[in-house]
This record gives sequence, structure tokens and C-alpha cells, in this order.
Amino acid sequence: MPKVRKVVLNRVEGEIQLKLVWEKGKVKDAFIIAPNFRGFEFILEGKPALDALVINPRICGICGHAHLIATTKAIENLYENAGLKIDIPQNARLIRDITLGAEIIQNHLRWFYMFVMPDFLKLEKSKKLKDFEPIKGYKWQKAVDFSSRIVKVIAIFGGQWPHTSYSVPGGVVCDPTTFDLTEAKSIVDSVVGFAQQEIFGMDIEDYLSVSSEEEYLKKSKNSDLKKFIFMCKKHQLDHAGKSYHRFLTVCDMEYAFSKGITKKKRRNFYVEKVREIDSYSYLTENGFSFDKNRYSWAKAVRYDGLPYETSPLSRRINSREKLFINLLKHYRDSYMVRMWARIDEIARLLYAMKMWIESIKPSEPFYIPPPADIKEISGKGVGLCEAARGSLIHQLTAEKGIIKKYNIITPSTWNLGPRCEKYLSPAEKAIKGADSQIKAEMILRSFDVCSVCTTH
Amino acid sequence: MKTLLWIQGLSCNGNTQSLLNAENPFFYEIFQKIKLIYHPSFSYRENLQTIIKKVKEEKIKINFLVVEGAVTSDKRFHKIGDYSVAQILEILKDRADYIIAAGNCASFGNIPATFPHNTDVKGVQYKFVQKEGFFPPDFKTRSGYPVINIPGCPMHPAWFTQTITALLEGKKVILDQFNRPKELFMYLPHDGCTRNEYFEWKVESEEFGHKEGCLFYNLGCRGPMTHAPCNKILWNRISSKTRAGMPCIGCTEFNFPLRENFFETKKNMGIPEEVPLGVSKRAYITITGVAKTLKNKRLMVKLEETD
Repeated sequence: MPKVRKVVLNRVEGEIQLKLVWEKGKVKDAFIIAPNFRGFEFILEGKPALDALVINPRICGICGHAHLIATTKAIENLYENAGLKIDIPQNARLIRDITLGAEIIQNHLRWFYMFVMPDFLKLEKSKKLKDFEPIKGYKWQKAVDFSSRIVKVIAIFGGQWPHTSYSVPGGVVCDPTTFDLTEAKSIVDSVVGFAQQEIFGMDIEDYLSVSSEEEYLKKSKNSDLKKFIFMCKKHQLDHAGKSYHRFLTVCDMEYAFSKGITKKKRRNFYVEKVREIDSYSYLTENGFSFDKNRYSWAKAVRYDGLPYETSPLSRRINSREKLFINLLKHYRDSYMVRMWARIDEIARLLYAMKMWIESIKPSEPFYIPPPADIKEISGKGVGLCEAARGSLIHQLTAEKGIIKKYNIITPSTWNLGPRCEKYLSPAEKAIKGADSQIKAEMILRSFDVCSVCTTH
Repeated sequence: MKTLLWIQGLSCNGNTQSLLNAENPFFYEIFQKIKLIYHPSFSYRENLQTIIKKVKEEKIKINFLVVEGAVTSDKRFHKIGDYSVAQILEILKDRADYIIAAGNCASFGNIPATFPHNTDVKGVQYKFVQKEGFFPPDFKTRSGYPVINIPGCPMHPAWFTQTITALLEGKKVILDQFNRPKELFMYLPHDGCTRNEYFEWKVESEEFGHKEGCLFYNLGCRGPMTHAPCNKILWNRISSKTRAGMPCIGCTEFNFPLRENFFETKKNMGIPEEVPLGVSKRAYITITGVAKTLKNKRLMVKLEETD
């Protein structure tokens, strides 16, 4: 008889339960249970469309900004589908990318040092890991300092982080001075310093040209990424946690990543091919159902009928970055590679942020009013955005500016949703075969679990 | 050493994320003074169910119980292991010296309390303006304080750390009528707003994307009607919504987010439905009328063009 054990997971965003079915010392099946539900999509119904700019960031305390950008884009798309061209000044586009970049970097820093590294403290009692101990450890504290420092960039343009609604259809609300820009740049520079010294052990631009694992290990000095790679190898996590080896990214970001679908070969992404399946979800097309076989508030998301991983690793693959294409050849989409991609993105985004800040022209506009009052607009809109954990999709239907229906598909829904009749979710698949509970938890955490986003 | 236990109900985790941004003291400095018994985002050896058991057996003492997120007793919509957050609160409520509601969800219910399919979502002691939260209106903890509300969506980290520090040092914390620390929430975002001169001279923003103009009359700013020191204790110690050009949405108030059209000011015959706190409508009309006649030329041009 297989043994079934349920665990409540902490060190994730929100609450996740994991039901593991064991056989012969290995995980035979895994159920990822997202037990909490606030009902944002229901709350939004009947509200003025622009109010979604205030409500939606509050879906998530850690990537609320991504929800803001997706909401803004969905409303802008609503205008476009109604035949009204909406001008978004280049300055506004740049600032949205800068602040999104800052939020993603914040997430990756906190995720790596606060959520991931403590797993290794459970795996091995080594004095070398003392610096990573929560609250007391020097490196844990540094991660708090620098993750809090990078979000100051969002505060410069948006007033605060978390939870601002400064991006609006037509642009952004701010009108920064040259000195706001130099301050933002200085913040980025100081985080670059931290990343070079502690995370990568080498100059960021040199790191970005690295194309293989051997090259990285050879060129970098003592670094946290290096330590992480060695620990993965020591505990056989370099080959564990493989999923479907299919990757999805829904939008571009200059200097950072490009959109696409990779299933053996890379293709374009079409939002029409995205479907949600509710056969194992409490939330169904016809209301709530708590039937016995249903086990999560999340729905299963499929692209062209298939489950896809969406994550920084997907972004690396869809951007055809050499280092990760080489890593995949050897390790496939394993725990180690998935984690490395998140850490890698810190460097890529810091580099991009510097370019974007350079490109802003303070004398040019940051906002151009939309061509009509939202109260005159009816139709549908889609907002696509890459968030820290992967692809985020907002879809709305409005009638004279009032929301009739709102649908949100978060990265965590793609990765950690329940199964459908045919397939497990990417994370459920990745956990299968794990040989200990802690490793099963670690593999799940490699998807950067966010339960508040999963169910919203 | 005093102890702190942090639990989460229906929440976005934003107050925890906000608290990580704390400066003076920094997040990790607070927890050098207080022992953190458990926090869902940081604890790696402990588990909450075991801790609750130990608290029941009086093996662990709780000084500060912090609640983040709204409360519900309906396990279909929220549970932690086998418990609902309501059950955990029930077990712990008489065992903590202080209970602190961290953020607007725990204080007043906030967005989760507007979910139409579960009417059993509330704050710890309030549901919006009513004292109809999870605990009865006359509930007090062992220290004699009711639930101390530190609202805000999210709360500012300093509001939390300064409250904790004061209580830790045995100082008296005066609360306002919504159980918010008075010395923080007696300020308005209007106080210290860089657009105040525009407010005084009735120069109103018509659209976003400008440093100039007051956001009150056209763009829905709640700065003059909201209790919060956002422009005294700056966000991320660097800015605030109104400084960046975003209208205040009143997220520290008991009625957030019940209002609609956040980026619009409701008016009757050109007069805002709500006028700044402490001013009568008649006084508002008079003073704005006068201000409009006595133009301030400096405020008629872009800031870069002023002398």
C-alpha cells in the first residue's frame, strides 16, 4: 500500500499543502493543494474598469506591480479593440520596465536567500552555511538590505512598494527629474555591486557572456551561486526535479528576454491557445464545487492542450541564451537549472535597468490621456506581462467602462495548478520520483511558489 | 526575551513584504530584541501546529500576537493545516499580551471582506466601520489594550516597528477611535505633500504625468481626508504616492476599498462631495473662491520654468 502524507509548506508566498503518495521510498504521485481563496475575479465584477488598477496589485504583496502592469495593458488593449489608438509615451514604457525589473530582482533576492537557502540548512548541518541562517545570518541580512534597496527605484517613480497604482492607461503618473533618474541609477549600481561580489563572484557583464557551466566555475571567485551549484551536486539536485521540458513566455523585454513557446522548437506565442481546465478545481465554470476529487482552488492551464512551465528558465530558453541551452543539454529542466535561471535573471535585469534608465528623456511626456473616457468603452482586453515567477495574463470584458468579467492566469497557476484528465501540472510532475520529503519541498520551491497568486 | 508569533489569514503577504523594507530599526534588528516564535515566511524548523500545541500546554509564552490578513472561520476558503485562522485566534486570544492587526485586511477586512460569496470575512475586531470583527467589541488582551490596528494596504514598516518598540519599552500607546496609534494616524497624507502649494491656491491637476497641480479636485486624491503619515514618514524612506503623482486612495481608512472610481472626485454642482477634514463645505467654497481670485503666478507655469 502506498503511504500518503500531507504537509503544510511554509516559506512560500501564502499557504500551500503538499499531498505526497509514497512507494518504495520515492514519491509516486504528488498533489499540490492551494487551500485559500479571496475571489478577486468576483470582487472585480461590476466595478469601474480603472478601479482594477487599485484592486489588482493587492492580489499579491510580492509581485503586485506585475498585476498592475497586466491590468494597465488589459485596459489599454480594451481601447485598442474598440478601435481607439492609445499612445503610450516611450518614457512610460521604459519606466514600467524599470519598475517591473526592480520588483523581479527584489523577488529573486528574497526568494533565494529567504525561501531557498534555508532548505540547505535543513539538508546539512555545516558551519559554512551559518551566514544563510534566517534573521541572524550575515548573508540573509544583506539580502534584506539589497532587496529593500532595489524597490526604492519603484518608490521614486511610483511613490511606494508594495502596492502602488502609478501605471495607468496612457502612461505613468510621475514626471521625474534628472536627479530622480541619477538616484535610481545609483541604487541600481549599488545592487550591481552586491550581485557582483556576493552572488556571481565576477563582473556582471563578464557573467552575462558566460556560455557554459565550466566557464562560470572557472572564471568566478567564491560566490553564492557557486556554493549553490556545489550543494546541488552534493545532494543530487542537479538532475532532480525534471518536468515537461516545455517553456512559455508571453512578452518581450528589451535586453532581458523575448517571448515564445519552446517545445523542442521555438514558436510564437498566441494567447488564443490558452485554456483553463477546472476538472480538479473547487472553482468551476458553474460556481464552486467541493466534490471529493477536487483538491485546489487553482485551475489547470494548458497551451494547445499541453502543460508548460513558465518561469525565468522559460525566459532564458525562449531568448535562446547559450548558457541555459547548454545547461539543458546536460541537466534538462532540473532543480538546479531552474534555480540558476532565477539567479541569472538578477544580472540580466540589473544590466537592462541601467540601459532603460539611460534612455529616459525627462523633457518628453510620461503620460498622454487616452483618446476617450473609459465610460464610453465596451469590449474585451488582454494584458500580457512577465512577472517574477513567469507569465501573467489578465483578461477583461467591460461594458461602458464597467467590468463584466475578469479573468486572471498567474505564473503559479501554470506551474502549480492541479492536474487535468491527461497531465499533471509541471510542479506535480517535477516532484514525482523525489526520494525525501525535504527534496520534494525543495523541488516545489524551485518554482517559486506563490499561493496567493495561484488562487487569487 | 519577549516573544512574537505571526499568523496569516486571507492575505496577499504585502505587510510582511513591506516590513522587510524597514529601516531604523531594520527587520533583523527588531528580531534581535524580540524572539520570533514563528512566521510563515521565515521559519524553517518550526511548524505552526506544533507551536499551537505547545502554547496550549503553556510551554511557550506569547507576548505579541500579530495577525496579517482578514479572518474567516470558513475552512473552504482558508485553512492552515487543520485549522481555520479563526480557530487559531480563538485558541491564542487570551494567551497573548498584545494582539496587533498588521495591515488593513486584519484591521478592517479590506478587499477579502468584499468577496460576495463568503460573508464571514472580517477584520480581527472591526469589519469596516463597525466593531463587528472576529473578536467582540469589548475584547481586550491581558495588557488592557484592545486589538491594536496598524492599517494601511500595506502598512508602512515604520508604523509597525515603532509601535512594537514603544510597547516593548513599556511606553503608553494612545489609540484613536479605530484603535490606530494616535501619534501616527493623527497626520494626513496632505501634511508634507509636495503639492500643498497647489492645494492652497486652488491649482488643480487635470491629468496625470505632471509634477504640478493638486490631485484633490479632479483626480480623486484622499490626502486631505485620510489618517496616515505617508508624507511625514516617507515610503521606502524616499517618496510617497502623492509626491510621485498618484492620488491617495485612503488605504489606511476603515472604509477602504468600499469607494468606487478611485481616480475621480465625486462632486455636486462643482463642489467635492467630501471636503478636507475639519472644514465645512461653506468654508471650503469661500476659501477656494478667494484663492482662485488671488492667483499665484508661480503656480501657473511648469516648475522648471519658475524663478
